[in-house]
Amino acid sequence: MEKNDRNTRLIIRGTDAPFMNALRRTVLAGVPCMAIDEVVIIENSSVLRDEIIAHRLGLIPLKTDLDGYNLPEECPCKSEFGCNLCRVSLALDAEAKEGTRTVYSGELISENPDIVPVSDKIPIVKLVKEQKLKLEAYARLGKGKKHAKWQPVSMCTYKYFPQIKIDDKRCDACGKCVEICPRKVLVKDGNGIEVRDLMACTLCQDCVDVCPQNPPAIDVSWDENAFIFNLESTGALPPKRTMTEAIKILDKQLKEFGRQIKVKKSAKS
Amino acid sequence: MIIPVRCFTCGKLIGDKWEEFARRVKTGEEPGGVLDSLGIKRYCCRRMLLSHVEVIDDLLRFYEEAEKRKQAGNRYYY
Ligand code: SF4
Ligand code: SF4
Ligand SMILES: [Zn+2]
Ligand SMILES: [Zn+2]
Repeated sequence: MEKNDRNTRLIIRGTDAPFMNALRRTVLAGVPCMAIDEVVIIENSSVLRDEIIAHRLGLIPLKTDLDGYNLPEECPCKSEFGCNLCRVSLALDAEAKEGTRTVYSGELISENPDIVPVSDKIPIVKLVKEQKLKLEAYARLGKGKKHAKWQPVSMCTYKYFPQIKIDDKRCDACGKCVEICPRKVLVKDGNGIEVRDLMACTLCQDCVDVCPQNPPAIDVSWDENAFIFNLESTGALPPKRTMTEAIKILDKQLKEFGRQIKVKKSAKS
Repeated sequence: MIIPVRCFTCGKLIGDKWEEFARRVKTGEEPGGVLDSLGIKRYCCRRMLLSHVEVIDDLLRFYEEAEKRKQAGNRYYY
């Protein structure tokens, strides 16, 4: 319905709320992406402490290459430190030579030119003349259930698909519902009320409560089996990839669940 | 202290938008309009920029001053 490199809005039909919620939770907690996980500070004479800088670095979203890297716990290297297949190192060496300046995320030099911060303009720290910051950071794949920095999205929601019905016979076009609607869903059109932007409706029912007719001439309900799904990526993964990955993971988990139930059943009988 | 990298509530990246926001508000633009044009929709992210005070700038002034005195050969520079 709406799509660009960061945001996606979809209408999903023929499903139910439990499935939508499972999908949402998989996107939030199950889809891996890259984030800085370990920082070795070589020199830091800035006004921010090592831990604060490490935390700021961790929160920087990195463009992720899911096919080229393994999750550290699934990597054949089995090493705590990691190998080329499960870890990317980024180096930062900044010094304020001329005077006060800001160190940006763009100054991080990555060993893999594909794994870089999504924005070059994220301030990391400000340095005064003669202050220095030198460090090496290691980024790894991880999942949102361990730390929110590994969430590939900054928003993932679903809501029921709204249905608004206006009874033209009883509606006297007083306009009270148009006035009260917080999302400006309704407009007055001659001597009737028209729905202008159905998708924006939050199902708040304010328009129904305010209608002077008894019973109200307007009715707001929703389709139990259709949803509006909204996803906003941090830039780590494109929204489409996030969705396909989430569906793959969910599918795998459900199959495993089904297998375990079968094993239990056969063990009993 | 310094602008947070992400929104505390939803995790949207906002750190890279602070400088533009601060500059445009200083030139007299309406903050709400600037936030809209930066694509910051939710009020959790909007408050991150609206309520932020860049305290680090005030703190750095002391270091700049100390540096100047050091350069001037003043031995009471700190
Ligand atoms: S339910 Fe709320 S958002 Fe939807 S049309 Fe009525 S007043 Fe507007
Ligand atoms: S409040 Fe009721 S009567 Fe008035 S315009 Fe809306 S639907 Fe019609
Ligand atoms: Zn490995
Ligand atoms: Zn937010």
